[in-house]
Amino acid sequence: MEHLELFFKAIFIDNMVFATFLGMCSYLAVSKKVSTAVGLGAAVIFVMAITVPLNWLLDQYILQEGALSWLGEEYATYDLSFLSFIMFIATIATMVQLVEIIVEKFSPDLYNSLGIFLPLIAVNCAILGGSLFMQSREIESLDLAFNYGVSSGIGFFLAILAIAAIREKIRYSNVPAPLRGLGITFIITGLMAIGFMSFGGMLTGGEEEVAIEETASIETSVIVEKPTIEAEIIKVVDSVSVDELEIKE
Amino acid sequence: MAKNTESNVYTVLFATGMVVIVGALLAFLASSLKEKITENKRIEKQQNILYAMGVNENEPGSVTFVSKNIVGGEFSKYITKQLVITGTDAVEDENAYLIDLKKEEAAAKNTNYQRRLPLFIGNKDNIQYYIIPVRGKGLWDAIWGYVAIDNQLVVQGVYFDHAAETPGLGSNIKERFFMDDFKGEHFLDGDLFKGISVSKGNADPKNMDKTDFEVDAIAGSTITGDGLAAMLKKDLKLYLPYLKTLKQ
Amino acid sequence: MGLLSKKDLKLITDPLADNNPITIQVLGICSALAITAELKASIVMSVAVLFVMGLGNLTISLMRNIIPPKIRIIVQLIVVATLVIIVDLVLKAFAYELSKTLSVFVGLIITNCIIMGRFEAFALANGPIRSFIDGVGNALGYALILIIVGFFRELLGSGTLLGFKVLGDPIEKTGVYAFGYENNGFMLLAPMALITVGIIIWIQRSRNEALIEDN
Repeated sequence: MEHLELFFKAIFIDNMVFATFLGMCSYLAVSKKVSTAVGLGAAVIFVMAITVPLNWLLDQYILQEGALSWLGEEYATYDLSFLSFIMFIATIATMVQLVEIIVEKFSPDLYNSLGIFLPLIAVNCAILGGSLFMQSREIESLDLAFNYGVSSGIGFFLAILAIAAIREKIRYSNVPAPLRGLGITFIITGLMAIGFMSFGGMLTGGEEEVAIEETASIETSVIVEKPTIEAEIIKVVDSVSVDELEIKE
Repeated sequence: MAKNTESNVYTVLFATGMVVIVGALLAFLASSLKEKITENKRIEKQQNILYAMGVNENEPGSVTFVSKNIVGGEFSKYITKQLVITGTDAVEDENAYLIDLKKEEAAAKNTNYQRRLPLFIGNKDNIQYYIIPVRGKGLWDAIWGYVAIDNQLVVQGVYFDHAAETPGLGSNIKERFFMDDFKGEHFLDGDLFKGISVSKGNADPKNMDKTDFEVDAIAGSTITGDGLAAMLKKDLKLYLPYLKTLKQ
Repeated sequence: MGLLSKKDLKLITDPLADNNPITIQVLGICSALAITAELKASIVMSVAVLFVMGLGNLTISLMRNIIPPKIRIIVQLIVVATLVIIVDLVLKAFAYELSKTLSVFVGLIITNCIIMGRFEAFALANGPIRSFIDGVGNALGYALILIIVGFFRELLGSGTLLGFKVLGDPIEKTGVYAFGYENNGFMLLAPMALITVGIIIWIQRSRNEALIEDN
């Protein structure tokens, strides 16, 4: 269920292109033809599926404060989170280059179709964005991180496929000359983004009902707990005013 | 020299050298500046807590904290007590404001862990303020804040801040016009916990109705606003058992 | 001409119009859309990019003969990221308030492809001084579009400019609001930034027909 929710959320509600406007540059530059758009989209899915989980591991076991505790107690206080930007970027750039070399060696066909897009991807901010979102949204497990990578990639794939298909057709329309090409693409993307905003309500409907149930259950628990806490608090406050301050860490 | 840049050995050497230089430079900077940065963050926390209970140097329309130099003194003057609540226990701790909410929340996922909840009790002009720290997620990154309530459990002031919300949209949660709306707002309906939601088109842009459990949203920042409402709901709820003891 | 030769001057004036990084080269779009709801944010971002572009181009150009071509993209990214992080850390320690304002932009600057794009296209092949000028020129061209978009979005969306209520108070119904004018909240949404840039492109290409594309 958690997986399913994250999957749809990443594709539709938080769509990389239409909701967060990341990856716009390659989205605009490589969307003239459907075939090239498919190539770039596939490459983005592929790279995100690798880099997001990889960066998750880096974040959990190296970068976060206390993440180094697996090395021993004395390392538990290290906080390397100031390195996260550099580490994420380095991972992405390295992975892209590695993937390029491996694909070239073992599957020349795939390389011919994907190859030229791989260097483009290293500078695609959607990829770095994916890793940074993964960090700031505190995604909890490796499989969720993998899911997030794949579904964000699919979101980008859908977006670029859609705009490429529109651009192929729009050639037959009578667009004002100065708007042709880039200008009309900007405007269409704006309209598409407005359309995608309507997905925003998709996963909030159910949440409200849960909230009502929650409040009901708290209500009862509060009444049950009340007397004991009251006694405790009064006791503590008393002891503070009479005795010296008791400071517990 | 320039001719050899293609070779593998050179590439590997260059990469290693670069990593060492950049790593050393950043590590040196980060560790030598760490003390100053931690100190700045500590001062900021004190300023924020005081801001929430109305100790600030605001001019109309501006958000101005008490100045850095005097914040330490003002903090000990106005904040009379800092509590750490664990379960049914409340203990005084003068460093309660340094508790890292993010870590507590993460640790509390383990059901054996008793989450420590910091609470600050302030006194200004003979009114008691209970200041609750909150933390949640906005559109891009973390959002957090402090909510000051009186002993009738009515919000008297708030301070919100964010790591990276969109400038001009979500980032407006730390502007006066948004934060001031919370003043006087209720989050309890009798005994029932309602929270405060951030709603669009509630036909109350001047926020005259203080018991509708909602404030007017900021245009163009739905996700930040929803995140903020969820944050208030989630974190205020944790303090309910304690707060109920106040309202007698 | 003074300090700059005609050729160098062109490096600054070209990106302002006929070779604008946003409307012609299609670089740095993400940030142009994300932060232009407010004029102030546009200006802050422009200054930050100006700083990073100038220094980044200079650094890369100085290193251009020793960077191994195979890993040049990683090297470029690391140079930008290091520059930005150093500035961020120093500001956090010595000018905390300023760093709070700027911290939002740190991520946006590192991922800004306008910077990478100019490294690839210019700094790797040209001398340090010309690269520096090119960086400044492109940053100015970028700033120009950002400020135009920011100006219109803030004016039409919130009725303010740099936070001042230039059109009157929408709640008290003063100024133009007295005649029934309403703010167009739609302008604050990011899709409208796309459409605004689209219109700028339209105007620019109507004035200079050489820029018109085939399809």
